[in-house]
Amino acid sequence: MKNDPIIITRNQIGQWGSYIGGVGLLLGLLGWLWQGSITPIIAGLLVSGILGIGLWVLMSPQEFKDFISGRQTRYSTMAVFSTLLLIGIVALVYIILQRATLTLDMTLAQRFTLSRESLDVLREVNGDIRITGFYSSRALAAREVDDQFFRLYETATNGRITRQYINPDEEPALAQRFGIYSDGALFLSYLKPDGTVDFESLARVPRSTGGAQEREMTQAIARLLLSNTIKVYFDIGQDELDPLDTTQQGLSGIHAGMQESGLITESLSISGLAATGGSIPEDASAIIMARPTTDLNAAEIAVLDAYLKRGGSLFLMADVLFNENTFLSEGSIFNDYLWQNYGIRGQQAVIVDFGASLQSPLDIIGAAVFTETTIAARLDPASAPTLFRTSRAVEVQTENPPVNNGVVILSSENSYGETNLRDLAETNSYEANENEDIPGPLPIAVWAWDKNSGAKILLVGDSDFVTNGFVTSALGNAVLFTDGLSWMTGLTEQISFAPQGFNSGLPLIFISTQQLDLIALVTVILMPGLMLVLGLVIWTRRVRR
Amino acid sequence: MWIIFRREVGQYFASPVAYLIAAGFLVLTALIFNNDLTVSATVKPASPSVVPAFLSFALVFFAPLLTMRMLAEESREGTLELLLTAPVTDSAIVLGKFLGAWFYYTMLLALTLVYQVILVSVTQPDLGHAISAYIGIWLYGGATIAVGLLFSALTENQVIAAFLATAALLILWLGGLAGQIVANLDLARMLYTLTLQGHFTSSFAVGLLRVEDAAYYAGMMAIMLFITIRIVESHRWRG
Amino acid sequence: MIEVRNLTKRFGSHTAVDDLSFDAQPGEIVGILGPNGAGKTTTMRMLTGFMPPTSGTAKIAGFDVFNDSLEVRARVGYLPEQVPVYPDMTVRGYVTFWAELRGVRKPHARVDEVIERVQLTDRRNSLIRNLSKGMRQRLGLAQAIVHDPQVIILDEPTIGIDPQQVIEVRETVRQFRTKHTVLFSTHILSEAEQICDRVLIIHQGRIVAEGAPATLRQQLQPGAHLYVLIGGADEAQARNLLEHIPGVQSVQAQGEGFTIRTQPDVDIRAEVSESVMRAGFALLELRPVAMTLEDIFLDIVGRKT
Repeated sequence: MKNDPIIITRNQIGQWGSYIGGVGLLLGLLGWLWQGSITPIIAGLLVSGILGIGLWVLMSPQEFKDFISGRQTRYSTMAVFSTLLLIGIVALVYIILQRATLTLDMTLAQRFTLSRESLDVLREVNGDIRITGFYSSRALAAREVDDQFFRLYETATNGRITRQYINPDEEPALAQRFGIYSDGALFLSYLKPDGTVDFESLARVPRSTGGAQEREMTQAIARLLLSNTIKVYFDIGQDELDPLDTTQQGLSGIHAGMQESGLITESLSISGLAATGGSIPEDASAIIMARPTTDLNAAEIAVLDAYLKRGGSLFLMADVLFNENTFLSEGSIFNDYLWQNYGIRGQQAVIVDFGASLQSPLDIIGAAVFTETTIAARLDPASAPTLFRTSRAVEVQTENPPVNNGVVILSSENSYGETNLRDLAETNSYEANENEDIPGPLPIAVWAWDKNSGAKILLVGDSDFVTNGFVTSALGNAVLFTDGLSWMTGLTEQISFAPQGFNSGLPLIFISTQQLDLIALVTVILMPGLMLVLGLVIWTRRVRR
Repeated sequence: MWIIFRREVGQYFASPVAYLIAAGFLVLTALIFNNDLTVSATVKPASPSVVPAFLSFALVFFAPLLTMRMLAEESREGTLELLLTAPVTDSAIVLGKFLGAWFYYTMLLALTLVYQVILVSVTQPDLGHAISAYIGIWLYGGATIAVGLLFSALTENQVIAAFLATAALLILWLGGLAGQIVANLDLARMLYTLTLQGHFTSSFAVGLLRVEDAAYYAGMMAIMLFITIRIVESHRWRG
Repeated sequence: MIEVRNLTKRFGSHTAVDDLSFDAQPGEIVGILGPNGAGKTTTMRMLTGFMPPTSGTAKIAGFDVFNDSLEVRARVGYLPEQVPVYPDMTVRGYVTFWAELRGVRKPHARVDEVIERVQLTDRRNSLIRNLSKGMRQRLGLAQAIVHDPQVIILDEPTIGIDPQQVIEVRETVRQFRTKHTVLFSTHILSEAEQICDRVLIIHQGRIVAEGAPATLRQQLQPGAHLYVLIGGADEAQARNLLEHIPGVQSVQAQGEGFTIRTQPDVDIRAEVSESVMRAGFALLELRPVAMTLEDIFLDIVGRKT
């Protein structure tokens, strides 16, 4: 074997010196920039860099001179600088475009566009609101998607609504103030003048799993806007339905919806107030009496009258209760009060409808609506039907009414008011009797509005439509309640308790197994096969020539 | 530039390998599509971006396959010497080749539109969403091809070119994983903004067209091609 | 047409081309002659703008190869040493591609003409991967001349192809003389002699000799060489016989026969044949021997040092 001696020339030493020097200097400078100070390692790198360059100069001065003054240096420096310049320009353009937030929502459901309902709410925003989201660094992609969406709120309110993201891992103390330890929690709050979160107003936004959060967000904002402005009282003095009862007969669903929408709810007892000589609180925007069982006495009516005279609103749900001396029963003085002062009253009859009802003609569907008021504006019988069970027929005074009034919902032509309540209660039997019964169509819900005092009354002959068991049975039920309350409190269209306009609307795929197999055959076998055949054809043609 | 573009495209159409690649591409995307269809039948609406979302990962390996030969082979076969001594600018060479590869990729992508046609025939898919995802993955592909081309210019060896490009793309792809590697949220977010995925998953893929994302991919292509041109050009003054 | 001044190329510490200067006139075929590694390819690469010179300048048609590279490239046709081809293209497609790339106006007619000229017409729709080496070489020539350049630079166009094809290639190159300036590199002296108007001999990046082939031959090759194979004589007899033929300077055994060196410009083949006959032996073979350049170089280099 030949033993080649390893020859190291001056030039080679110089070359190695240049490499060591270049790398050392580069790493040293980068480290310096990164750390901002000279650590021993960086100092070492810099020193070795300088030593390397020194070695280079010493060992091959000619090459060094060529390098410094050479074309190669000039061109490579140029190339590096022009590249850096281009990167800078690209980054600048990117940042400008990012600020401009030019986006185009391509989804069918307009997932990244705010609906008109939301925009209506956002127009009302006049304080600084902060969206606070909790995302750890693991949830980065989710945050980016959400951010697209929250950005819309910021843009729509010209920056009144701002976004802030907190990493719960990094700021556990802050997370604890929000009472949150996990990813994805979302909060809304007002900002204090000093720009910090006003924890008084903090509200958690529920996250839906489907991804479309517009409804939750918008409602949370509406709630924030309404907070402390509207107070609705449930009367409990006449043994009404309980707003906290979660059974089928309770009102907890609609009650929760009201609270979610920013209404403050409380209960009061008119009979209690009458007994103690008190009056209805000043802050009452509306009073709800859901199926009162006993009728009001004169003192109680006086309390209500005083309230109505100063512009109060009353939501009455007066079912037929089949026993003596119940609310609005025969000879009720409150019924007379309503008739004389507001031109509306309940009748002693249950609506039996053969034209618009479910299996039982007592489960009646609102057949016609009147849109003089905003109450029925969204209650189209076709798209948002209302459903009532054993509803009292109510009545409107049309000739020279004392105040403005009218019908909201009417039963069908093919209905009548059954006056034989005893038979109905005892044997559940009903029979149209031309002489005794009231011919239809009959009003199910009526309104009255005293424009002088501002008093508003909505009288519905049924309360079942808002109970937990019934409220979701027909699309219009919640709407009737919501919009009735909105009409009374002057909150028209600001809040939406029903999921209107927020549906994604994409149909599911229904496809047979045969179809699936066919698709698989075409896409997995035929199409690639075709490509292979084409390739084969090309190949054979190529071999031939 | 267009002459080189035409040659590259002609090369793809005349090469059996290109058809083989197309067949493989179709089989993979078809499997993904059919799987999604079977899973979501009667359960949820059709997802319009399942194929593009798959491609956003597949391109990490696929784009280097398309580009690895482009400059590396020319360099080894010596044709680069002829190209560089022909009266064409270096940018025309690089751009022509880039556009050629992008065009081929566009053709492949167009073939996968068949899946959308199938969806339209069996259900009512969100076409806007699909269009957005396709525009996104088209730009995404362009950016990955530009990266692949850069590495093809760096070395004469196709395999090394493909390997380096895949490695680089993998780093650029990491995207959402950035958050899992880096605990600092701001840094993670910045890294996410730099990645290819960061401009696709949270915008194009969910049906949202953002000008900034298009600008990112365009910028990515511009920078990569610029560097590639500089590398090719360096043959003239290096050494 | 070509103007080279003090052209130098260093690769690190190795100097490939060292202070080279020469000119070539329009219509002239200039051969660059030298052994492998002499700097021929490097010189040509610098002239085509593929590689930058370390120092010195080169101009083609008045344009500097480095600063006006694009102008130069438009005027040069270049065939690198290893013919660069795209194996999956057809002959016609390949030539058309280069024609278009080099801005030929109506490429199709021109391409057909050029293909005809390099005698590939019958193979014009074949894929290049199916062509023989000689055909590829001619194809390379075709791409170099397709745009009718003022200057054609050919790097060893005859290397590695069979003799018949060498002749064809040489023939083709010779035809260029009328319209183009041709720079032609080879390491075969006789080839340069056949084709070139002027020859530069370079060694270790330097011009060691320059001039018309005939002049050079005289300078370089102090004698001609003949190979003789004699039948019926043993080695000593044959050697003795050959050494006594007038005009023979030296005799050297080579294989079964001998190589004899004669004075230049004297053809002694008749004398050799006559002498052999007269001695009663059979003359089995008698042919002139083309000296390889390496041999001559050894001579020159030896003489210069």
